[in-house]
Amino acid sequence: MIEVQNLTRAYGELLAVDRVSFSVSEGEIVGMLGPNGAGKTTTLRMITGFLPPTGGRVRVAGRDLFSDPVDARREIGYLPENIALYPEMRVSEYLRYRARLEGLRGSEAKARIGEAVERCLLEEVETQIIETLSKGFRQRVGLATAILHRPKVLVLDEPTVGLDPKQIIAIRELIRELAKESTLLLSTHILPEVELLCDRVMIIDRGRIVAEGTPQTLHERWVGNTVVRVGLKEPAEGVEETLAGLGGVASVTPAADGGGRYRVECERGADPREEIFRAAVAGGWVLVELSEARASLEDIFVRLTTRDTALSPAPPAAGEGQGEEVAS
Amino acid sequence: MKGVLATFVRELKAYFFSPLAYVVLTLLLLVNGFVFWLIISFLNDPRAQIGAPLELFFGQTIFFWLVMLFVAPVLTMRLISEERRSGTIEILMTAPVTEGQVILGKYLAAFLFYVFLWSPTLVYAAVVAYYGTVDWGPVAAGYVGILGIGALFLAVGTFASTLSRNQLVAAILTFALLVPLFTFGLLEQLINNEVVKGVFEYLNLWQHMDDFGKGIVDTRRLVYYLSATAFFLFLAARGLEVKKWR
Repeated sequence: MIEVQNLTRAYGELLAVDRVSFSVSEGEIVGMLGPNGAGKTTTLRMITGFLPPTGGRVRVAGRDLFSDPVDARREIGYLPENIALYPEMRVSEYLRYRARLEGLRGSEAKARIGEAVERCLLEEVETQIIETLSKGFRQRVGLATAILHRPKVLVLDEPTVGLDPKQIIAIRELIRELAKESTLLLSTHILPEVELLCDRVMIIDRGRIVAEGTPQTLHERWVGNTVVRVGLKEPAEGVEETLAGLGGVASVTPAADGGGRYRVECERGADPREEIFRAAVAGGWVLVELSEARASLEDIFVRLTTRDTALSPAPPAAGEGQGEEVAS
Repeated sequence: MKGVLATFVRELKAYFFSPLAYVVLTLLLLVNGFVFWLIISFLNDPRAQIGAPLELFFGQTIFFWLVMLFVAPVLTMRLISEERRSGTIEILMTAPVTEGQVILGKYLAAFLFYVFLWSPTLVYAAVVAYYGTVDWGPVAAGYVGILGIGALFLAVGTFASTLSRNQLVAAILTFALLVPLFTFGLLEQLINNEVVKGVFEYLNLWQHMDDFGKGIVDTRRLVYYLSATAFFLFLAARGLEVKKWR
């Protein structure tokens, strides 16, 4: 649905987007994750045809955005970051204008507007002047205009930024709903959002894709193996050796304070917690903690985008498909 | 075509919703009313030469040009600048419309509002017709001149509006482009070379309006307005296309 090849954008000396290539297939929800200023908005603006790229090409629904811009834009619904609307218009009036701009007319336009209003829960503000709307409602008006013409591709730039928690939940639900019909590309700097919504994640930093894959493969690739924290009420003899001897355990490191706490690194895909429990029972140790220390996507994100840290993926393991590091 | 219609309708509504439009309308009515009153009082004096009031009204006073040079920048300064400043240009230019369609729609709305601004002056013709006789030919010609020169001035303003996100800058730029366009022809008197003089004469807008007021419609002048209008609208579409600013 979306094919991006070597997309580059320079602002003077600064390379905002540097040879970015990716593709999004039909029905996918892809999230673009990156710190502020990573080049997310610039990339999205080039995909929607607002900004001409310095180099590279974009195809949306099989149409080239530079040789066939009007038809390509017809396939895209776009919600920009901090959407700007005409303040003096009423919501219904604005939607009618957008419908006309998209080339919808008569009863078709009416039906689509009705549909968009209903889906974005805008009934109560339909006759209100846009200037008087809250940020959440403006965002929803923006979404309504993005889906008005039933685009094949929806591009949402920070769809939940500046909303209160309740509104965020509502917008997320709406996005999930919309994803049933359209291919979705969204950007965000909020991590849980990506984990909640997306099939695939691209982590972008300084204009480059630094990692790509499903949230799952990103975990496996960048976090490495599962770590189990084991805590005993009192230190006991031979615990370390026993734990190390269990199946699925790669290594055991006692905590520095020696207070009966251990960090157990597991082999890939293994979950030795049951064995640890049984070993504890057999050894008569009093277990006070037995938990999986799951590194979140957040950790990966911080690791990948912290400027001074050298990037080093976790040791590779067999059977790895996606989640490759992108050569930089 | 749909893009032109959509932007035209929206822009026209925006004109009637903005207080600025009513300020301009009121000022225009005040100035025109005052000038008309002056002309009538002047012609009422037995010592005055014989003249037709509307002929004087169209272009024989400096007021007409002051109004034109003021109205065109004010009407057009918002067109693209405001879209850029507020950011609405982002969703406008990602809609399936071309730059040309957007410019044309907005320009036509500005032009229609301009026509609306002048429409109350028809009352003066009605007043003169009530108390005396009106030679409708020159009156019609005068309006042809108003529409033609207005079309050109508004096109210049539309172009200037694509160049800055600041309305004031756009207005000043329009003014800066219109003043030479207007005064250029006035240099005619200072030229001796016949060919150059001819060029300046062709461009002398003051002379044009003077002739229109007398009922002379020279189609070469209409060709000038229309081609220059088309040229500036073309530039405006290109100006909108140059999207290197953020």
